[in-house]
Amino acid sequence: MAATVASQPRSSKTESYIDNKRKEDIRHANIVAARAVADAVRTSLGPKGMDKMISTASGEIIITNDGATILNKMEVLQPAAKMLVELSKAQDSAAGDGTTTVVVIAGALLKQCLLLLSHGIHPTVISDSLHKASVKAVDVLTAMSVPVELSDRDSLNKSASTSLNSKVVSQYSTLLAPLAVDAVLSVVDPAKPNMVDLRDVKIVKKLGGTVDDTELVKGLVFDKKVRHAAGGPTRVENSKIAVIQFQISPPKTDIEQSILVNDYTQMDRILKEERNYILGMIKKIKATGCNVLLIQKSILRDAVTDLSLHYLAKAKILVIKDVERDEIEFITKTLNCLPIANIEHFRAEKLGYADLVEEVSLGDGKIVKITGIKDMGRTTTVLVRGSNQLVLDEAERSLHDALCVVRCLVGKRFLIAGGGAPEIELSRQLGAWAKVLHGMEGYCVRSFAEALEVIPYTLSENAGLNPITIVTELRNRHAQGEINSGINVRKGQITNILEENVVQPLLVSTSAITLATECVRMILKIDDIVTVR
Amino acid sequence: MAIDRIFKDEASEEKGERARMASFVGAMAIADLVKTTLGPKGMDKILQSTGRGHSVTVTNDGATILKSLHIDNPAAKVLVDISKVQDDEVGDGTTSVVVLAGELLREAEKLVAAKIHPMTIISGFRMAAECARDALLRKVVDNKADAEKFRSDLMKIAMTTLSSKILSQDKEHFAQLTVDAVMRLKGSTNLEAIQIIKKPGGSLKDSFLDEGFILDKKIGIGQPKRIEDAKILVANTAMDTDKVKIYGARVRVDSMSKVAEIEGAEKDKMREKVQKIIAHGINCFINRQLIYNFPEELFADAGILAIEHADFDGIERLALVTGGEIASTFDNPESVKIGRCKLIEEIMIGEDKLIHFSGVEMGQACTIVLRGASHHVLDEAERSLHDALCVLSQTVNDSRVLLGGGWPEMVMAKEVDELARKTPGKKSHAIEAFSRALLTIPTIIADNAGLDSAELISQLRAEHHKEGCTAGIDVISGSVGDMTELGISESFKVKQAVLLSATEAAEMILRVDEIITCAPRRREDRM
Repeated sequence: MAATVASQPRSSKTESYIDNKRKEDIRHANIVAARAVADAVRTSLGPKGMDKMISTASGEIIITNDGATILNKMEVLQPAAKMLVELSKAQDSAAGDGTTTVVVIAGALLKQCLLLLSHGIHPTVISDSLHKASVKAVDVLTAMSVPVELSDRDSLNKSASTSLNSKVVSQYSTLLAPLAVDAVLSVVDPAKPNMVDLRDVKIVKKLGGTVDDTELVKGLVFDKKVRHAAGGPTRVENSKIAVIQFQISPPKTDIEQSILVNDYTQMDRILKEERNYILGMIKKIKATGCNVLLIQKSILRDAVTDLSLHYLAKAKILVIKDVERDEIEFITKTLNCLPIANIEHFRAEKLGYADLVEEVSLGDGKIVKITGIKDMGRTTTVLVRGSNQLVLDEAERSLHDALCVVRCLVGKRFLIAGGGAPEIELSRQLGAWAKVLHGMEGYCVRSFAEALEVIPYTLSENAGLNPITIVTELRNRHAQGEINSGINVRKGQITNILEENVVQPLLVSTSAITLATECVRMILKIDDIVTVR
Repeated sequence: MAIDRIFKDEASEEKGERARMASFVGAMAIADLVKTTLGPKGMDKILQSTGRGHSVTVTNDGATILKSLHIDNPAAKVLVDISKVQDDEVGDGTTSVVVLAGELLREAEKLVAAKIHPMTIISGFRMAAECARDALLRKVVDNKADAEKFRSDLMKIAMTTLSSKILSQDKEHFAQLTVDAVMRLKGSTNLEAIQIIKKPGGSLKDSFLDEGFILDKKIGIGQPKRIEDAKILVANTAMDTDKVKIYGARVRVDSMSKVAEIEGAEKDKMREKVQKIIAHGINCFINRQLIYNFPEELFADAGILAIEHADFDGIERLALVTGGEIASTFDNPESVKIGRCKLIEEIMIGEDKLIHFSGVEMGQACTIVLRGASHHVLDEAERSLHDALCVLSQTVNDSRVLLGGGWPEMVMAKEVDELARKTPGKKSHAIEAFSRALLTIPTIIADNAGLDSAELISQLRAEHHKEGCTAGIDVISGSVGDMTELGISESFKVKQAVLLSATEAAEMILRVDEIITCAPRRREDRM
């Protein structure tokens, strides 16, 4: 019908005609572009998924398996493809993990939509049905999930290692998973047990060593050297730490100033005054018993001068300079102290206490560790090590994902099986539900169910298994009521996935389904691209 | 050939038929562009910017689409303008007004082709518009007296407005949200007091209405994270040293200790300023500019919560809702109005920490926190909510309500048809044309939903032949349905504005018989 209308010559502007050709073209183009994006990340799904090497415009090279990172670095221009990138970002902020999954599901849904559209179903009907199906899917997933307690460290470890298994660092998952669990649990505030602010977990990267050397530090770690040009201490026990926001250097005013020197004696006097000035400051500091100084970075003047370092060394005060202003909050929270902005306010009650402040040599660099902090705030530092920058970066990203997974569990304490089991089960139950529905809806829901099979299909494909055999067998198992059967990629066969300890938080799965559906619906509803200013 | 050229080079002139033709075509093209976004099953458009970043907007809002278009045709610009006016005045119906104006012109073109003078058409249109408005006036329902019913009317209107937007799936949730927000305003149309905060993450359903005000900022270090019975001073002042604003100003000293003295004096000045601020008896200080480390520490020592670098919009609104004033000098504590609120605390939405002011002076104030999958979704949701809020706040003042779903158009068309039959002369053709144009709105709604519009409209017309009919198009089931039962309502004010401004715009374009394009200015070489 549409074809005949479109083929008519446009005799006059006034005749009302319905030209659907353009709309269909646009929709088609959008879907194809979005699917291309989805296909690009498809192969990185699952424990045997492959990594991508991205070479950015600035010549930097990134090797990653993280969907959100890949898409972020891909410079897509097509508007619909951009929406998929956004989708991955949204999943990253909502759940932190499953950023590849969400894009792959969206791609599969779009593929099915294309089919439905070609059958002449109105896009809004498809869109509404997809929404209904996603709501139902969330119900099914919730029904499948198993509650978990935060005290059950074993389950938490399992879910963190499931997330880590698909990354470069998978061989270290036994180390990193408990580390992630510890890190998150240590920052959970008993007053707000459902909230975790991941900014309370600081990740410090240091090149050298292997991922094996990654450790959780109960305290603070600075990727900085102690300033000991003048032979100051590098290790202080029973330290009293001050975080200062002023500088220990000759005075400088905001208004421009110049000192007039007429003769040599005056010069001498000025030098002496400078010395006295600094000495005065250091005496005040020393008077409070402070023996570790953390100095905030300043763009206006030097944090310390050689002269002040010398005096500080004499006073046996350990100095770390150039602390970023953003970090001050984290540091003060950890040390349970207050920042000091003026020497006049330097009082003992504003100091923080720690058992040991120590400079440690690591690889080619040095770091400063502060441990045994008294009344430590709810923060944690993770020191990540890696043999090269690429591994280090990827390890950080993987650790971030693992932390997110644990955080999801803290927020919503339910676990669900991994390995494609939930998707197949969803597909089965939605398929059954579709048969009860009437009209177009049933048809669309069935397509939704079919689209979900893409996850087990891709998982097995990426693992080098025969996807069709695996998916059909999975279906069969699930039909017989083994709802936790999933693909065991390591053994290359189907097993009860819960027993294999492959679990993931419920939140990751549900948000992947809802977000993907929302995005697909949005793409479906677009019928025109207008270029504007 | 004496007056060969009265215009400058490249200036052009189009006359009579050609001019009219050009304006008709332009206006209709614009109308056709936004036509598909009309109604609950209307489609969205991607707006792709050609500017830097190629940013992408996905929208269903007529005004937004039209606002961002490149347009050369003068008549098309008129339509864009009426859409803008509609947006400013009533907030919704921005697409309808353009579509109706476009359809009126389409009909007018046929009449002009049939050699009816444009002035005759205009007077016919005027009569018809008058008649249509009267017809609506006779049918309006006003439930202002009955609070319960009025609220349900508002709910219905909000749902009808939202159903054509991205929020359609959760329209009940959002209708509730917007109605609550508007009811808090207690009749004022000051939408400033309703703040919309967008936070990516979560789904649209997680959006909520919060009584009070939320500021997207962090609390300074070492300061109280929770304050009850807060006294708030909102300020716009530089918190660093007062500088002499003369270039090259400098102090000359002859010794280091003097430099230190000056530095000390600078510090003292800051301290003095902070003392003055503290002397206001406040426990919360919000500044638009930066607060440096030193004053921040002083505030922390005084137990005052200090927030730096709040955005301009934020502090203006904050001053409004807390009933304070934005201060920039602190010498006269008695003359500065201090804002108050019951509780300030830090809350967490998604991954971000925000500062929440509850129990604010201006009880009307509230914040809608929108959550959604991505920025596209959030932006579009904000636009939709804005539409709904506008319509509702207008309806609170003018509580006359009509049914929706093409019902008002059918009522108007019927009355206008009657009028056409009674009116002698050529004008009746124009009046008839007006009624046809009105009918196209339900036709387009049906077409957009993929329904058989010809069949539906004729059924609808037959229904409306009966007195007191409430039939309209039920897009969901694809048939003629009872609008009262389905709860589809629209604000009278919106419909009236659509009708009148569309007619006026059509009239204006019809009157044109010559288009003079001035020579373009050289330097703008926009490609």
